[in-house]
Amino acid sequence: MKIERELDGARLVLKVEGRLDTNTSPDLEAELKLDGVKELVFDFAELEYISSAGLRVLMIAQKAMMAAGGSMSVSSPNAGVKNVFDITGLSSVFTIM
Amino acid sequence: MKRRAWIFGAAFAIYAVLLSVAWVVGTRQAREKTERQLDYAVGDMRISLNGVIDTMLEHLASIAVHHFKKPAVYSMEEVAAVAEAFDIDEINVVDREGRIIATNDRDCLGVDMKVKAVTRPFVELTNGVTRVVSQPFRRHAYGTSRRKYLGVPFPDGNGYVQVGLDESRMDRMISSQLAFLFDPQVGETLCYLCADMKTGALVSAHFEDGMAKTLDEIGFDASKSPGAGKPLPEERVVETEKTFVQTLHGRPVFCRDFVFGGHRFIIVEPKAEFFGTRDIILATMALLLLVVLGTFAFFVDRVFRDADCLKRFYAAEEERRARDMNIAKTVQNAALPATLPESPFYGIYASMQAAKDVGGDFYDYFNLDATHVAFLVADVSGKGITAALYMMTAKTIIKDTLLASEDPAAALTKANAELCARNPANMFLSVWVGVLDLETGVVTYANAGHNPPVVIKDSTRFVTGRSGPVLAFMDGVSYKPMSLALSPGDALFLYTDGVTEALDSKNELFGENRLTDALNTVASLGPHSICMVVRAAVAAFSEGVPQADDITVLAVRYVARPKVLVRSFPPTQAGISAASDFLDEVLADIGTLALSPLHIILDEVCSNIVKHSDATVFELDISSNGGETTLTFVDDGSPYDPLSHEDPDTSLPAGERPIGGLGIMMVKKLASSVAYRRTHNRNFFIVKRSS
Repeated sequence: MKIERELDGARLVLKVEGRLDTNTSPDLEAELKLDGVKELVFDFAELEYISSAGLRVLMIAQKAMMAAGGSMSVSSPNAGVKNVFDITGLSSVFTIM
Repeated sequence: MKRRAWIFGAAFAIYAVLLSVAWVVGTRQAREKTERQLDYAVGDMRISLNGVIDTMLEHLASIAVHHFKKPAVYSMEEVAAVAEAFDIDEINVVDREGRIIATNDRDCLGVDMKVKAVTRPFVELTNGVTRVVSQPFRRHAYGTSRRKYLGVPFPDGNGYVQVGLDESRMDRMISSQLAFLFDPQVGETLCYLCADMKTGALVSAHFEDGMAKTLDEIGFDASKSPGAGKPLPEERVVETEKTFVQTLHGRPVFCRDFVFGGHRFIIVEPKAEFFGTRDIILATMALLLLVVLGTFAFFVDRVFRDADCLKRFYAAEEERRARDMNIAKTVQNAALPATLPESPFYGIYASMQAAKDVGGDFYDYFNLDATHVAFLVADVSGKGITAALYMMTAKTIIKDTLLASEDPAAALTKANAELCARNPANMFLSVWVGVLDLETGVVTYANAGHNPPVVIKDSTRFVTGRSGPVLAFMDGVSYKPMSLALSPGDALFLYTDGVTEALDSKNELFGENRLTDALNTVASLGPHSICMVVRAAVAAFSEGVPQADDITVLAVRYVARPKVLVRSFPPTQAGISAASDFLDEVLADIGTLALSPLHIILDEVCSNIVKHSDATVFELDISSNGGETTLTFVDDGSPYDPLSHEDPDTSLPAGERPIGGLGIMMVKKLASSVAYRRTHNRNFFIVKRSS
């Protein structure tokens, strides 16, 4: 997995490539340095799949952004990833673009 | 409805024929009786008329005897004077020699009455006879008139007097004497008429109508009379042909007539009198026959309707039975595996042709796991519903035991015990059950008294091994496990005795030789084709002979060893990564999108094992039969069934969502099936996913 971090003022974009599973999600979790971030975007265009470990990271981020009064969104997930959001009921929780 | 019309039509026809016959017979009898009556009437009338005439002649003869006293020669003038005085046409005084010695007829004087046959009887008057009459009026020897004679002897017996009267005198005599002649009404129906020939005036008591004066007035038509102008018949003879029909006073009557003394005598018999009797008999008969035949027809119709009712009842019963059988057949067929497994590693096909509506044969096949296929063929003793029901029981027990143990011999041992325990109908069954290990090609099998299957390799060979007796026959039997080896490309053919014991028209068995002959031709054909070849061979052999037993065939072809790979990993994060790489490696030929869900499944299950079990190692078995991929996770940790947890509530708002528990839910949703088993102190978690 490869993570690209782009911080533009209060907007943080985390571009994730490859697989987000038990093995890789701790790495993503480590990237959640959100001080001063008001808008968090996960760019999943290059994400192969996501397991529950990855979902856990997304939920932690969501809670953190809500606490900070900011927003979080997921951008361009593929059909498989979107399907995972659907079956876990997270499609309605996350802002998916 | 049509038949009822026929029944009543036939009854009516019989009715019409019987009535017609009765009418004909009745008419003939009435007619004969009428003729007989008329015969008697004519005879009576003749006797009456002759009696009157004879009496008159006797009276005249007595006058002559009284006048002449004795036989002597009297002058012709004196005799003529007496004749004229008493209206006598001829007076002859005859001496005791029979010679006419005095007469008013010159031609008769001196005639010897002994000479002619017609006069000879009169001579007897000199021998004590007191009265001789010449019966008919006959033509007078010397004149044109018809005359009748009567003679009486003189008191001294030495001679006699013969007097003669002409028929022409009868005219007046009848007019004056008729009232004394006869009663015009005889009995209740018969009556006489007498009328003047020339004028037609009725001289007899009038016929019914006192006002009528002539025959014409009462409607008599003289031209119809066949007896018109004939003299009074002398002898009583049957004269039916002379009967004729008239309409008198508008009523039809039978008539006979004759003419005598210038008068027509008619005997009248009203038709209605005799035919009345006939008609009453006919009417009674008609009524009786109507009742009898009507009743008969009613009962015949009733019998037919009852028969119809029975027929309908039996038809309904038969239909109900057929429906029941159909349901039984449907249920039975539903019990047989309906879908054929689609696998690149093996093929299987089976069919059962029941001899009756439901059969006692059955077959079954199913996967025990990704690499083991169980298949069996069985034959329950007996046929029909009982056999079918027993078959269902046996099939369920065998399948249950096989799924639990995967060992055919153990399955049959257990099934035998259970079937013996519930076998009220004392049935038994032969079974051949095998389990094919796709990885090794080894078929472990058990044979409970069943026909030997055929292995089809380059050549064919019967698998003759027996594990024990038929099932449900003997309690406590332990079946012996056996095995045979197949190589990819080999096939195995199972069947019931319906195949080898099929009969042809010469009562010959199909037999094992013909079976191997047929199987020698199947070479590399698929299981379906193998079954069809055998079935066609049996059908051709026993063409025209009804199928006596169920015919069941099953063919398995072992195609190729499946890609099944097992690898062990340590229960660590690194182990999960290695397992993920292993999955990539094994399923490299499958597209990324199809692979991702398998990776998610692997990630979730493995992280569960790592987190929750204290396993020392875990194994991943990956197998794919093309359409379906099976991941089997085995670990030696403490018993843990991930499926025992309830799925987390995914409808809660983000802030209240529990973070755990999503993993297994995702596995369940991404998989086509998940199963957990604990055997040999290991947790087996089997996940299948169809692409």
